[in-house]
Amino acid sequence: MSADVELSDVSVTFGSFYAAKNVNVKVNGGEFFSFLGPSGCGKTTLLRAISGFQEPSEGKVLIDNKDMSGIGPNKRPTALIFQNLALFPLMSVSENIAFSLEVRGVSKEERKKRADELLELIALEGQGDKKVHQLSGGQKQRVAIARALAVEPKVLLLDEPLSALDLKLRQRMRTELREIQKRVNITFIYITHDQGEALTMSDRIAVMNEGELEQIGKCDEVYNNPLTPFVATFVGENNPLYGKVTGIDGDKAQIETADGQYLAMMNESKKLNIGDESIAFVRPESLFIPRDGDNFDNKINVNIESFEFEGNLKNFYARLQSGAKIKFSVPNAIDTSTISSGSSIALGFDSSKSVILPKASLAID
Amino acid sequence: MRPSYFINFMMGIYIFIFFAYLFGPLIIMSITAFNSAEFPSITPWECFSFRWFNEGKIAYDGQHLAGLLTDWRLHDGIISSLIIGAGVVTLSVPIGMAAAIVLTQVRSQLRDIFYSISIMPVLFPGVIIGISTVVLWDRLAGLGGEGFISDIGRNGIFLTILAQTCFISTYCFLIFVARLQRFDQTQEEAALDLGASQTQVFFKILVPYLSPAIASAAVIAFLFSFENYNTTVFSILSDQTLTTVIASKVRLGISPALSALALTIIALTIIAAATYEVLRRRAEKRYKDTQEKFVKEKAADNRINKNYKIGFKVPRGIVTILILVVFTIYGATQILKNDLYGQSCIDAADTEKKSKFYDQLNALDAIELSEEELSGGELGGNQDYGDIFGDPSLFQDFGGFD
Repeated sequence: MSADVELSDVSVTFGSFYAAKNVNVKVNGGEFFSFLGPSGCGKTTLLRAISGFQEPSEGKVLIDNKDMSGIGPNKRPTALIFQNLALFPLMSVSENIAFSLEVRGVSKEERKKRADELLELIALEGQGDKKVHQLSGGQKQRVAIARALAVEPKVLLLDEPLSALDLKLRQRMRTELREIQKRVNITFIYITHDQGEALTMSDRIAVMNEGELEQIGKCDEVYNNPLTPFVATFVGENNPLYGKVTGIDGDKAQIETADGQYLAMMNESKKLNIGDESIAFVRPESLFIPRDGDNFDNKINVNIESFEFEGNLKNFYARLQSGAKIKFSVPNAIDTSTISSGSSIALGFDSSKSVILPKASLAID
Repeated sequence: MRPSYFINFMMGIYIFIFFAYLFGPLIIMSITAFNSAEFPSITPWECFSFRWFNEGKIAYDGQHLAGLLTDWRLHDGIISSLIIGAGVVTLSVPIGMAAAIVLTQVRSQLRDIFYSISIMPVLFPGVIIGISTVVLWDRLAGLGGEGFISDIGRNGIFLTILAQTCFISTYCFLIFVARLQRFDQTQEEAALDLGASQTQVFFKILVPYLSPAIASAAVIAFLFSFENYNTTVFSILSDQTLTTVIASKVRLGISPALSALALTIIALTIIAAATYEVLRRRAEKRYKDTQEKFVKEKAADNRINKNYKIGFKVPRGIVTILILVVFTIYGATQILKNDLYGQSCIDAADTEKKSKFYDQLNALDAIELSEEELSGGELGGNQDYGDIFGDPSLFQDFGGFD
């Protein structure tokens, strides 16, 4: 009971402002698909366009290959989970869950039966008579999901539902959401600004910026092969190295920066020519302190400035000779007692772990 | 004397004066309801009696002074006031609610204009609303000839309901606006998304949310309607409401029956308020208990599950109660000691007043007037004013009626 969702050339404008611009996505049935982007990038607008609260100014929303134009949110096979959950505070948990059945005229016994089933699905058996305010944050979350699932929607839309929870609960809810999705086997479309959430739960993600899609792909694809400098810096962390292309060798390009020359992978769809302004990206975890026998094709000299202990990782903040900042992370298991603030060390990274893209604005600017 | 003690003392005096100013007249009025004298008074105290609550009395001069139970004009007034109150509630609560909901849907500058127009009736003088309603409906009634329009257009109760609704719906509007401002609109969207129609959203989400506001708007609308005079006095035409009855009585000279009525209304108000407060506290306690139980269930350790012993506490307000008790006991003993209660006392007072009255009548009878004195001079005669309307220049400057 899942359905494809297709956005075809969807634009949403508010006056002269484009909240979403020419968005083309096809979400496959049964897929866990995430829209990832900073706040204000238009991802919630897209979700509202799918659920029917917002008619697209241009383009079409297709669910199960049916055009949804002019069909209201109460007639679409979608269910939306709101950012603030929007549970009904005056109703009990069961009444909340069975609300969609009640408005469809389902009998009381039937409603109770279905509510009990769903309470079991979200592991809240026997708590149906409680009021919403008596539940904890995670329980409310699950009730909201159960309420949305009661009508057996073909598509479940989730608008940053985990953002109000604390870290531990958020991590647990990620796993639970994923499990619920597998059990009910319907299409989940998830909206988030948290790349960790998107990467851990999704089958595929779409990265958005300023109303436009930057990249669609599998999680590791997006992480390892970003298509734009924005994606490179928004999904995970990345150190930018600005420069000009000085040589091309197969799928690799040589970049000349103020601090030296580096080799990096070119993206197939973003071919560069010699002399192009470009940026090479290297992730903090791909920068290594060379040990005997290591053979990196890129070397970089840095001045350590400060140090930060994260638990599983140790983060070092350093500067290149040109003054550009760089961050690298070392697993906690590795001994770094010889590195102190102010000391100067050489780092190495592999060209296959680095990407080079045409110059454009970054997410952190 | 520490300064804080001094400040507390002055604060106490201030509060006492404030409440005396507020409730003093009401207390005095309530006491006069139990005095058997013809005028509401405390001194001279005649007899303690409940006569103004039931049958009233025939005064020594033969005038009938009805008590609360036997005054049919008052009863008619109360009945029409209740009918009007019910009518005003049924009209102004939906109107106020609808206007408030519209206000939440309007964005842009129209919102301010709509808000200003909606609250305007409160700023109009009630007299003008009353008069304009009568003028409008008189014209409408005149247009229709004989029939329904002409009947209701000249029906005082109907007109009063309309006139009062004009401004009372605004108060309801303000109550609903205040409640709606805290409404989370995503709830409406959630309900829509779950398949509810707009009507279902209204009745299953919005109305339950607004129900406390509906209750308070209804109470306030009823109270405003019940006590209104300045609009009603014009729009009621030939009927009477409680307020217009009281006002006409005041014009003729008031009897302690009005004090009795006032005391009854005060007592009903206090009982209603006290009941509401008790129910509210009970509900609050129930809510708190479930919350506490929930927290205790959740808390892994017993750190909040301690018993705190509550020591004996003198209830607040004990001073007020003591003062009231002392005054009541003092008043009762004075009445008992001086035999100022019961039928014998009333009879005695009546006999005394009657004899005084007859003495005066007799004294008047004793004056004999001659024919000459009656037709002129100091004591009578109409010669001085004879033929004043015969003056041909009297209406010279009068422009005539429009």
